[in-house]
Amino acid sequence: MEPMIHVNDVTFQYPGAHHPVLQNVSLTVEKGEFLAILGGNGSGKSTLCKLFNGLIPNYYVGDITGEVKVNGLDTFTHSVASLSEHVGYVYQDFENQIVSPRVLEDASFAPLHYGYSDYQERAERALEFVGLEAYSHSFVWQLSGGQKHLLALASVLSLQPEVIVIDEPVAQLDPQHANDIYHILRKIHDQWEKTIIVIEHHTEFVAQYADQVVLLEDGQVSFKKPVTDALNQVGTLLKHQIYPPQVTQAAAQLGFDAPLPITLAEGESVFRPSLHTTFDDSSIEMPMNKEPLIQFQNVNFSYQTITRKKKQVLYDVHLQIYKGDYVALVGNNGAGKSSLMRLVTGLHKPGSGEVSVNGYNVEHTSPEHLAEMVTYIHQNPEQMFIDDSVEKDVGFYMRARKIENDQELVNRLLDQFELQDLADRDSRLLSGGQQRKTSLAIGVGMDPAIMLLDEPTANLDIATRKHITRLLDQLKEQLSSVIMATHDMQLATAFANRFIVMNQGEVIYDGDRAGLFQNPVLMQKAGLVPPQIYSLSHQLGWTSPVYTVEDFVAMYRKKEGADGVYA
Amino acid sequence: MEYTRRFTEKLSVEQMKIELLHTAYGNGHTFLAKLDPRTLFLWYAFFGIVPWFLHETRILLGMLGFMIVTTVIARVSPLIIFILCLGLLGQGGYLLVISLFFGGDFSAMLPLLKLTAKLSVISLASITVFCSMNPDKLSNGLLKIGVPGQVSFSIAYGYRMLPTLLEEYHHVFQSFRLRGKAPEKRGILYWRTIYYFIQIAMRSFYPLLLSTAKRARTTVEALETKGSKYGFNHTKVKELKLASLRMQGMDYGFLIGSAIYVASLFIIF
Repeated sequence: MEPMIHVNDVTFQYPGAHHPVLQNVSLTVEKGEFLAILGGNGSGKSTLCKLFNGLIPNYYVGDITGEVKVNGLDTFTHSVASLSEHVGYVYQDFENQIVSPRVLEDASFAPLHYGYSDYQERAERALEFVGLEAYSHSFVWQLSGGQKHLLALASVLSLQPEVIVIDEPVAQLDPQHANDIYHILRKIHDQWEKTIIVIEHHTEFVAQYADQVVLLEDGQVSFKKPVTDALNQVGTLLKHQIYPPQVTQAAAQLGFDAPLPITLAEGESVFRPSLHTTFDDSSIEMPMNKEPLIQFQNVNFSYQTITRKKKQVLYDVHLQIYKGDYVALVGNNGAGKSSLMRLVTGLHKPGSGEVSVNGYNVEHTSPEHLAEMVTYIHQNPEQMFIDDSVEKDVGFYMRARKIENDQELVNRLLDQFELQDLADRDSRLLSGGQQRKTSLAIGVGMDPAIMLLDEPTANLDIATRKHITRLLDQLKEQLSSVIMATHDMQLATAFANRFIVMNQGEVIYDGDRAGLFQNPVLMQKAGLVPPQIYSLSHQLGWTSPVYTVEDFVAMYRKKEGADGVYA
Repeated sequence: MEYTRRFTEKLSVEQMKIELLHTAYGNGHTFLAKLDPRTLFLWYAFFGIVPWFLHETRILLGMLGFMIVTTVIARVSPLIIFILCLGLLGQGGYLLVISLFFGGDFSAMLPLLKLTAKLSVISLASITVFCSMNPDKLSNGLLKIGVPGQVSFSIAYGYRMLPTLLEEYHHVFQSFRLRGKAPEKRGILYWRTIYYFIQIAMRSFYPLLLSTAKRARTTVEALETKGSKYGFNHTKVKELKLASLRMQGMDYGFLIGSAIYVASLFIIF
């Protein structure tokens, strides 16, 4: 049988670039595969996928040699439109591929413009498949981020392509929506027997859903292997800054024989359950100095929606944030995390109740004044870039306040965040990780006591995430308190000494991490997924939780000693 | 101070977004909104142009009455009516002041009233028509009368992007506030504060340009994959799109009714 996709010795170079992005790439994808493409930033993953639907070379004209066949069609001689009936593409910035104001209209856009008279039914079927049928007549701007992603997928499914390419589906979603989208992908794969190709950094999803893995390195295919084999190449993957699932990392560090476990279930059967030993719970000590910096007193907050109805997002929130609190604010998208933080900036005023910062009531204090105490770092760094170079953006605040030796301060910040080489570049044209660093530098440059961080690691690959986590850790010395909204549980457990869980506008938990993770009902309700290594230690019956691979390995060795048995 | 605060709350970017989208999409249930776009185009072609060539005050006033009725039927948002009235009064008012200044007297009022009536008829006709057509209908109507598919797509796409762009603008504006410094002294009549806000309102546009360009890249690629190149001007696609457009009894009824009313105005006066 002919393969679904056949790439033969392709080399491609964008016009004006100095090096080819793809170099002698050969790859075969069979019908019905669920393929994950791994690779560091700039390894050519997206470029490779744009070969499949003919955007390269029909839309992006560059130097290209080799041959690409999709479902038997030569992509060099067929138009993007005719290839799109065979390959659907969901972008990483999927929001921009939605072109119509209404949901049904967008889902039917492609089949309509291909001239299918059953375009309406096709769209309805696709919407039903992804579970958006109740929103057919809604406007696009009424959907949440996760729903928009599903719509982008439905708009692609309405053409019933054989292959679906989806670029980093998890990057913008909370853990629950991420699981939802993967469930749907699996359903498409199993029920409709489609070929699925995902670009993915999160190897835990890869282990759970994919059956084949391609590793790209500097525009070349390093290998294509079945998923277990691929994720067992721990050394190779780590060399490319791709982190295998925590279970696999732990097994590799403990020197287990191949095949190493790649999922939680496999891990449970490989690691020996604990017999009896108990250890102290080394929970982090709460700060002693009880000096409230931020106070929320019975705060309610609502905003007007497009249908002119009020939508309440915070219900009777009562909170104190103290000096020395490094708070992880967690919960589903739409739980009210961002609203809570924005109230502290003074950009929104509470409907009832009182918010005060350092004793100033936000209702009577201008955002400009509050900004001298509190800095808010946007989820999307681009929304913070208001000048035309990194250096000017970082110095904007100081210049507005005519602070002396501002240049010196700026230079020190650029040093701290490793931005010297980028000082003259326009911030908006940097990569995701560089933008994030710039936004942090801007924030620290405002010399605040409190920093509010909205999803500081969203949209970053794992290596960059680790880098940002390290930078954030250093910041603790400069800041009295940090509130960080995040879905990244690895970051949260490494960084925070206090967890506040929000659900539907209410605070449903406030305490340390052990209390949170040991309450499965609460975790479920808030849509939280603990780090895999924590779940593993829990499943093995350990009474003291561990949060990092290193702790797990150390503890496991200790337990082996205590139990007197060696695995 | 309290008043200014309440006023600025009404003027927030969020409110503007809601008002705009409501004007565009909120009136789908009125009688006029159920008419075929071609009917409305035809109707507008008459009431938007003919008043310029009329000089008989009574006919104009008769038409004005009719326009007021249709405006009420179209359920035009009060904000728009308010802006319109402000504009018309301002226009008439300053002409009157100028004529008095140059030694005229109140006899100048009559021609001014006539002009105002003309302008009102035309403005109200425009408002009636455009508030009764949501963007989908407008773009389908344009497509039907032979405007290229790209144009009608752009209208729909414009509305799709409008809330996103406004939101982004809002964010940039807020970033300016959070990093900038508001003037400590407000100045006479708040001029320093007003100047500060106007300045950041203008500067907030620049970052928007680049981000829009970045978005457009994905959008254009996506349009390519959605078959738009082939589909925008293909007859079959047009037929499918416009299958729901039909001139019905009430369309003819509305046109004939309007014609009879106008004819009777001419006969009576």
